[in-house]
Amino acid sequence: MVSNSRTPAGAGGLRQLNGKQGFRPLNQPVPAAVEADGAGNPAAVLWRGVFRRVAAIHDTWRIDDEWWRDEIARRYFLLELEGGRRLTLYRDLCRDLWFAQPYDRPRDAASA
Amino acid sequence: MFYAGRPMDVACLLIPDFLVALARRDNPALRGRPIVIGGSPEEHTAVAACSREAAAAGVTIGTTLRRALALCPDAVFLPLQEGQAASEAAALFDLLKLYSPVVEAIAPGHLHFEMRGLPQLARLEPQHWLEDLHQAAEAATGLPIRLAGAPAVFAAHAANFGEEGSRRPVLLREDDAPRYLARLPVEVLPVTPAMHQRLRLFGLVRLGQVAALPFAAMQAQFGRDGARAWRLARGHDDSLILPASEEVRLVEEIELPGPTALSEPLCIGTRGLLQKALERPEARGRSLRKVEWRVGLESGEQISRRVVFREPTADPARILFVLRPKIERLQLPSAAISLGVTLSGLCSEYGHQANLWPVGPRRWRELVESVEQLHARVGEPQVFRIVEVQPWSRIPERQLGLVAFGS
Repeated sequence: MVSNSRTPAGAGGLRQLNGKQGFRPLNQPVPAAVEADGAGNPAAVLWRGVFRRVAAIHDTWRIDDEWWRDEIARRYFLLELEGGRRLTLYRDLCRDLWFAQPYDRPRDAASA
Repeated sequence: MFYAGRPMDVACLLIPDFLVALARRDNPALRGRPIVIGGSPEEHTAVAACSREAAAAGVTIGTTLRRALALCPDAVFLPLQEGQAASEAAALFDLLKLYSPVVEAIAPGHLHFEMRGLPQLARLEPQHWLEDLHQAAEAATGLPIRLAGAPAVFAAHAANFGEEGSRRPVLLREDDAPRYLARLPVEVLPVTPAMHQRLRLFGLVRLGQVAALPFAAMQAQFGRDGARAWRLARGHDDSLILPASEEVRLVEEIELPGPTALSEPLCIGTRGLLQKALERPEARGRSLRKVEWRVGLESGEQISRRVVFREPTADPARILFVLRPKIERLQLPSAAISLGVTLSGLCSEYGHQANLWPVGPRRWRELVESVEQLHARVGEPQVFRIVEVQPWSRIPERQLGLVAFGS
């Protein structure tokens, strides 16, 4: 019987799978070089070797999770660069670092 | 000469107590008698509608039929004929569509529609245009109809609901509307019954009393509903009429080259009709959920079959695959001379995820062995499949992962 490749691995699946040979997480955040403005919003992003100005920020949302373990606090920005390129970036609020990561706003995320 | 001020933009058509009015039209002996619609009193169901005479005895919609009998022993209990009510409401809607391009059905026997510029097109004054429509609607339905035109939806709606008895169509000008609304009861406001009751407890019986209050007082007491009620009571309403979206139906018909009673020519003709319908621009890039197939017979009869797909499709072969057994099972009383199909329930294109290869158990085993051989040769996994790891997680990198194929 062929197993369904979309079947969830179940609770705690990540920890089990992380130790397993041949497991690779998908959609890992990629470090990004970002110039922020005074309010902490991205003003320019290094994209393909050139700093491009942010033309518009279409959406922003925040994720706070796992404060009991390794705290995760991120502010995501769905933005458009000059030239029309759309990107999703987030600022890691715990480490003050910027990352790029394609991601849709979760429905229950509190608006910024 | 037309009325001065803002043109009459919208109108409300109302048949008060629609279900009761239908029952009285079909049986004039019921006029003046209390009527309860929903079934016979021994049934364990609730009142779907009741006449004003029954309401005066304490019967309300939702009361159990037994309780309704106790409250109003003289009432005539009638079954709820939903099919008849729906078809009468649809006929009224179709009639109104002949008069106005923008019609919104609020409830059976209750419609809002735009009339901006329409009297001018007919070279009539708005009052005469409404009277023409009133006469046509009453003649077509045989039901008592109320019509009101006004510059805004609420004023037209309230003019119909606020006054009892039949009468000529009401036409409100923008400068008349506040004065007219002022004498209507607060029950015409589209707020909860609890708020109607609270307004009455405050001694606010007419819209004019609500309009005379300071805005802040209404807002402080009733919140957002209070603010809205205050604006409506003053005739300020910017709500729009939302016309019903019309379903796209693709109809194709052919006359058969000669009469036949065999199923194969019918299937061939059906395939041609389906292909023709699916090539039409309206169907391009879309899938459908419903197909109605019909065959016309020499005797003048028509036989039809309806198919509803669980998954929308745009594949004529798949549609025919479902229709074919129905066609083959038909025992036609006379020869078929025409065929027709109606495609409806059109929706956006529906994709099916196909397998990479048509994999059978043997082929699958071979594939797994080949991949394992590749992994062994390279020393680490090279082929992966996507699995959902924590699909509920808000952390994006936790949601999906790749695991080695075959593991």
